[in-house]
Amino acid sequence: MGPVYLFDLAARHAQWLAVRQSAIAGNVANANTPSYQAKDVKPFEEIVDKTHLAMAASDPRHIQTVAIDIAAATGRGPSGRGLSPSGNSVSLEQEMIEAGEVSRDFALNTSVVKSFHRMLMSCARA
Amino acid sequence: MDPLAAVLKIAGSGLEAQSTRLRVSSENLANAQSTGTTPGADPYARKTLTFETEIDRLSDVPLLRVGHIGSTRGPFPIEYDPDHPAANADGYVKLPNVNMLVEMADMREANRSYEANLQMVKQARQMISMTIDLLRTSS
Repeated sequence: MGPVYLFDLAARHAQWLAVRQSAIAGNVANANTPSYQAKDVKPFEEIVDKTHLAMAASDPRHIQTVAIDIAAATGRGPSGRGLSPSGNSVSLEQEMIEAGEVSRDFALNTSVVKSFHRMLMSCARA
Repeated sequence: MDPLAAVLKIAGSGLEAQSTRLRVSSENLANAQSTGTTPGADPYARKTLTFETEIDRLSDVPLLRVGHIGSTRGPFPIEYDPDHPAANADGYVKLPNVNMLVEMADMREANRSYEANLQMVKQARQMISMTIDLLRTSS
């Protein structure tokens, strides 16, 4: 069984959630801007598949970073969302649902990290 | 830039723009009866504003900005009132082209958008404090 890079994975997931939240904030702020296209980030699975967890650094100066930023936010297709007469594709209700979802996932993430940290600490103290 | 700090920045720009919109709407409502003072003068013209997406150069986040606050040049409704100081030679007074119903609807929409931005600020703060809670030793 390979090692589970739990803390690394959790940190990455938290970072992805934070980027997603900022994409949603951009959508909410621009909910009344004419011809603004709603944005979202790529699914987390895609990012994990692309950047392997155990990255090989061929040079000590390499810094391991995750390539998720707002630039990775891609416009959603017209499927499933209505386009307002001003050409804006943001649905405030949908954005609120997604923001709640991100917040809940973040709570789960931090709770898992906290409980694993507690386990490690109990081992270290014993 | 930290994405959660970016959330606060973006939502802050949204709050600012929506409150400007609310201000313009209340200006229109307050001046819904403001006529001119000299014979034949134009009354208060309804103000409108535009929203623009502006990419912040420092942090590369899409902020919301109020583009331009302008006055409409729409046709003014007229009313026959020869005793009014702004009445023209035929006794007609030009009234402002403000539609109360439209302004109220715009005000409500600005209010809702403001609430949505506020909600984003709340959730980002919650996420930040959850992260800080990781550092707290629980025992």
